[in-house]
Amino acid sequence: MRGAAVVATGQTRHASRRDDVSQPELLREACRAALDEAGLRPRDLDAVVISNMEVFEGRCLPELWAGEGAFATGKPCLKVATGGTSGTSACIAGFHLVASGRFDTVLVAGFEKHSEGPTQSGMALTDPFWDRHVASGAVGNFALAVSQYMASRPYLTAEHAARVAVKARRNAARNPHAHLRMPDLTVADVLASPMLADPIRRLDMCPQSDGACALVVAAPARARKLCPRPAWVKAAVTRHEQPFLGDRDNRLGTMRTLREAARVAYQEAGITAPLQDLDVAEIYEPVSYAELAWYEALGFCEADEAGVLVESGVTELDGELPVNPSGGVLSSNPVGASGVIRVAEAALQLHGRAGERQVEGARTALATGYGVYAWADVIVLGTEP
Amino acid sequence: MTAPECTASGTAARSAGSTRAPGTAPSPAAANPPPGVAISMELTWRYASGDAMERLGRALAAGRLEAAACDGCGRRYLPPRPLCGDCRLRMTRSVAVSDTGILLAFTVVHLEIVDARTGVARPTPYGMGLIRLDGADTALNHYVAETDPARAPIGARVRAVWRPERRGDLADIRHFEVVR
Repeated sequence: MRGAAVVATGQTRHASRRDDVSQPELLREACRAALDEAGLRPRDLDAVVISNMEVFEGRCLPELWAGEGAFATGKPCLKVATGGTSGTSACIAGFHLVASGRFDTVLVAGFEKHSEGPTQSGMALTDPFWDRHVASGAVGNFALAVSQYMASRPYLTAEHAARVAVKARRNAARNPHAHLRMPDLTVADVLASPMLADPIRRLDMCPQSDGACALVVAAPARARKLCPRPAWVKAAVTRHEQPFLGDRDNRLGTMRTLREAARVAYQEAGITAPLQDLDVAEIYEPVSYAELAWYEALGFCEADEAGVLVESGVTELDGELPVNPSGGVLSSNPVGASGVIRVAEAALQLHGRAGERQVEGARTALATGYGVYAWADVIVLGTEP
Repeated sequence: MTAPECTASGTAARSAGSTRAPGTAPSPAAANPPPGVAISMELTWRYASGDAMERLGRALAAGRLEAAACDGCGRRYLPPRPLCGDCRLRMTRSVAVSDTGILLAFTVVHLEIVDARTGVARPTPYGMGLIRLDGADTALNHYVAETDPARAPIGARVRAVWRPERRGDLADIRHFEVVR
């Protein structure tokens, strides 16, 4: 297969409500921005991949209503929906479409408008026999997984998680697209915020956002014409898991999907020491505690060292490996777009277009996705093909 | 097992007031909702249970619990399902599982979350846990009658509290309680 690169990105302003636009208009906002950055017209696109959680807003076939917002009419158009990983999975689909040699220029576009329906209940609309008997939604399921993880890691505290939440919202203050921009947030604020489900407090949890994000994937020759510093796809790996939360003991602590996807991706990208070899990471952390677990699963540290990583500032914007300079999912979460945002923000860092959140000299970037504890995606981008 | 019927009393409205739980006061925004189209609908689905859940349903009606057992790896799955994901083998055998076990994870939910069977939020706070019953290898999620995390430590022994009348349904177990 030939290579592929991300050459341009576009994002909306992410917010708790975007009543000023409909879903197709919201999607168009991000797609228009991505095409403008690439200097492309809609007719230049060969195919479109759309990412969205279709039941969340109470309508099916989102690509039918909103597809024109991604200029899909008359073109090959796919929809990808894998929970939180929808966006990263859509990017992987876009990479494969280009790498196959069939298409030269592909638009990947994700969106969500949480404000338009009871999306929390959408989280429980999975298996009709078991999951619906226990109303817990995303927060309840996370709380169970986190309680078990924390019991297995006695050196980790609520304060470590709170520091992750503070880092995210302070970084978000540098990102004009972010939903929760809180430059003055403190650990004490997080620890004093209302309990949603023990031990998760309101400020430990991601918001529900309206927003969209798009990126342009191009074949090698095209990529060099469209972008001075293309973000080349070095690895793109996805793994699926068994269906129920309790099928794997200590889900967050073991996380075999993410560990296996990372192992294969690092091998393909030639990464042997992630903390040193990666320059920036955009990881999918729907809850502060998850970021600690991901540090372990992604090989940033040993099992007992996630707290040390946070305490020593290694993952802060000026640390050895800045994690989520954008503010992450904790600061903006339009679910269908959240994975696309991870890849777009990783690419922006390599393009050198990340503005006030730029990590100087970034050459290798990581993006991950996490979906309903059943999917994990790991993507590595680099400045060299 | 009774084929589950799921009813969605969904709303897809833009008005904040229309998504509130029944019986609660309308928010100030409801008096002056933003422009947009509000849609409510009541629909019913009926799902075939499949062999594994049928067997569990019969066991539940008799006040027993069963797990689906894999002939490949020997793993005993509760919740049951038709296939072992790891071995890709169809599972046709059930094994008896105790209604007591160990609490692997616990939380007290304070956030109001819509019950996906009824469309109505369950009153908070309530306890939930991941429970590995003696004889099973996986854990099931269920309610735990405890709202103080200090009184439901991970590793505690728990037992099922059954409803007096059984329907062959997972709700035949009202909740679990910590054995003291």
